[in-house]
Parts: sequence; structure tokens; C-alpha cells
Amino acid sequence: MKEVKVEVIGTEPPCMRCQAAKKAVEKAAEKLKQAGIIVNIEKINIMSKETIQKYGVLVSPAIAINNTVKIMGRIPNPDEIEKLIVEAAK
Amino acid sequence: MKEKIKRAIRAGIILTFVIVVIGLLIYSRIIAYSLAPQLKPIDLRSFPIWEIPIIYLIDYFSHGTICLLFAFTVAGLIYEFIPKEAITRYMGSRRAVGYALALGMAPFLTVCSCTMVPLFGGILYAGAGIGPAITFLLMAPASNILTILLTGEMISWEVAEARIIASATTALIAGIIISKTPWGKTIEKEHQTVNMASSPAKIEIAKPPLDERLWAALKFAGYLAKQILPFFILGLIAVSYVEAFLPENIVETYLTGINGVLLASIIGGPLYTPTLVEVVLGKAMWNLGMSKGALLSWLMGQPYDIANALAVSRIAKWKVVLTYMIIAWAGSVIFGVLYGMLSGSL
Repeated sequence: MKEVKVEVIGTEPPCMRCQAAKKAVEKAAEKLKQAGIIVNIEKINIMSKETIQKYGVLVSPAIAINNTVKIMGRIPNPDEIEKLIVEAAK
Repeated sequence: MKEKIKRAIRAGIILTFVIVVIGLLIYSRIIAYSLAPQLKPIDLRSFPIWEIPIIYLIDYFSHGTICLLFAFTVAGLIYEFIPKEAITRYMGSRRAVGYALALGMAPFLTVCSCTMVPLFGGILYAGAGIGPAITFLLMAPASNILTILLTGEMISWEVAEARIIASATTALIAGIIISKTPWGKTIEKEHQTVNMASSPAKIEIAKPPLDERLWAALKFAGYLAKQILPFFILGLIAVSYVEAFLPENIVETYLTGINGVLLASIIGGPLYTPTLVEVVLGKAMWNLGMSKGALLSWLMGQPYDIANALAVSRIAKWKVVLTYMIIAWAGSVIFGVLYGMLSGSL
């Protein structure tokens, strides 16, 4: 079993596009469960000092996989996230 | 290989759509077809009361659809294709660059609060500090690309240009003044503790293929339309009654001259909606005889929209918010009077 950490970085309270991004990640995670990859989804606040210290200034919604920002300012489709996670799991 | 052809075809279809939308706008310009509603207040009055909004909406959409379609499509495309990584990287740089970016980028990136709030926080925390952050915040609703396109098409491009220049100047001045006040400095000190140099860039943006990006741009355009249009239509219904029943002599008496600018700036503030209604309502009042100076002042009366204000007020203290509102208001009055005098319509 491999584990991948996925951070969904959005505004707090969550904006609609951030929620859509999170849903896409959840969908991808469910599919990957069957393939033997555990996806830990974390929702983090784009405005917090920790986030900015870690990633700098971002445009929401952003998605970081294993501590690397892969997607910024758009809602990806679940297939794309799936691919990115599989890549990260290797 | 097959996959590639499929993608190329899909990208081609979307690009054709975009070209048609842009072409329609250019065509309407060539044949001098007005995209603004044509009915005069006097025409509206002759209809029964329940028919007024229907007639007005038909008039509006028969002319304004191309303009709206163009505005939403362009906003979606720009938002999708603007190099966000490059911008956010520079957000953390020096003060002068911060101001320039805040002014230059706000119109394109702020059609959605998803972008606006994080960028405001980002500039404040990691970047150039409270001054550019305030400039960005004030510039954003005042002249985002949707508002400007609509102001230009519905009212006139001269007014749209005046609106850009006036709000950019006001935003810049507000930023500089607030960064000099003691309470502005306190907030800056409180928040600016992040040292950007210590964090290596952990950003490797994955770029999807062209057809998916184009589709995402259109989807974003659709999202914007879905957010804005319901309020916009409700606004139009209200505007139809204003245009039909607000007597011209009241508008001509109270919404012209220096007092007119003052009054327009005051009612423009609380009435401001981030839904483009202010453009249509401004147009209606202008039809009824409001001066150009008062019109500009009216269009600039946008201290806040509520969703953003909530997020922002958590960071900025009330003193900053108040200073910011006073400067924004003063700016709208000064530029209203100035523009009124320059255009000979005060």
C-alpha cells in the first residue's frame, strides 16, 4: 500500500470553486483506493501563515501532491488528478 | 494518435466559438449596431405596469447579449491563460513592483473572490505589505474586466477609460496613504513575519492540453455567468421601473453639478453590487439626465462587496477599513467633479 498526501488549498470559508476542486480530489481518491493507493486529503487555508511560508502566494483553488503544488487557480477533472497522484506514488 | 486528433478537433471547435463571439462584436461595431438598450424613458411609460420589465428585458437582451457573451468569454479566457505562477512569484517582491502588479493585475484576476482574497492576503503577508494590498483591494472591484467591458459597451468607452484612470489613481493613493498611517504599519508588522527567502519553490504546475484549457476557460465563463446573471436580471427589472417612473426633473435637479456628484457618490456606495447592475442603473440615470461627472462618481462608489469584506476585515482592523472607505469616497467625488468639468457635463 502506498500513501500519497494531497493538500487542497482554498479560501476559508471555502469558495465554490475550492469545493469543486475538493470534490474532484475525493472522486480520484476513491478510484485509487481500489488500485491500492491511499490518498490522505487535507484541506488547508490559503491565507494562513503556514501555507504561505510553505508555498508562497497562491491562487485558489490550488492542489499540492506530496508537498508540491501541481495545480493552481483552476478546477481539474478527477482523471487528471488521478494521473498526477499515480505519478507521485511511483 | 487518435487521442491527439480528438483533442485537436475539440480545441478547434472551441476556438471557432471564441472567434465567432469576437467576430460578432467586431461586426456589430462595423455596422454601427448599438449593443445598449434603445428604449427611452418616455417609450417605457406608455406600457402597462406589468409589461415594463418584460419590454425592457427584451430590449436589453436583444442588444446586450453579444456584449455579455463577449465579456464573459473574454474574462474566462484571460483568467485561464494568464500566467498565474509568474504573477504570484513576483507578488513577493519589492514595493514599487507590488504597486504596479496590484494595479495591472487586479482587472484580470479578480472576477472571482477565489482569487481576490488569497492574493490580498498574499501581498500583505509575504509580499510588498499593506500599501499594495490595499491598492489591489480597491482596484479589483472598481475595474475588473467584466465591469470595464460592460461600462464601455453600455455607456461609453470614454466613461470606461475615465473609470479606469480614476480608480487606479484613487487605489494607488489609498495604498500609499494607508501604508504611512500608524495603524496601517501596525497591521503590516503583525502579519509580515513570513520570510519568503527561506522557502524553496515547491511549485511544478502541471499543464493540461490545449483543448482542456480552452474548455476550462469556457466553463469558468459559464460559472461567472451563473453567479452574476440572476442578480443582473433582477437588477434590470428594478432598473426598468426606475427608468420609467423616476421623473427627469428630479434627476436633473439633484444629480447634476457638484451636489449631484456628492449625492451620486453617497448613494452609489451602499447600492453598489458586484453584479454589473450599477452599470445598467447608471446608464438609466444617465438617460434621465444625470451629468457625466455624477455618473463617474456613481460608478466609482464601490467601497466593498460583502463576501470579500468579511474575509478582509478579519485581517485589516476597522481603522484601516474606515481610512480606506473615506479615501475611496473622496476619490470618487474628486474625480467625478474633475471629469464633469473636463467633459463639460457637470
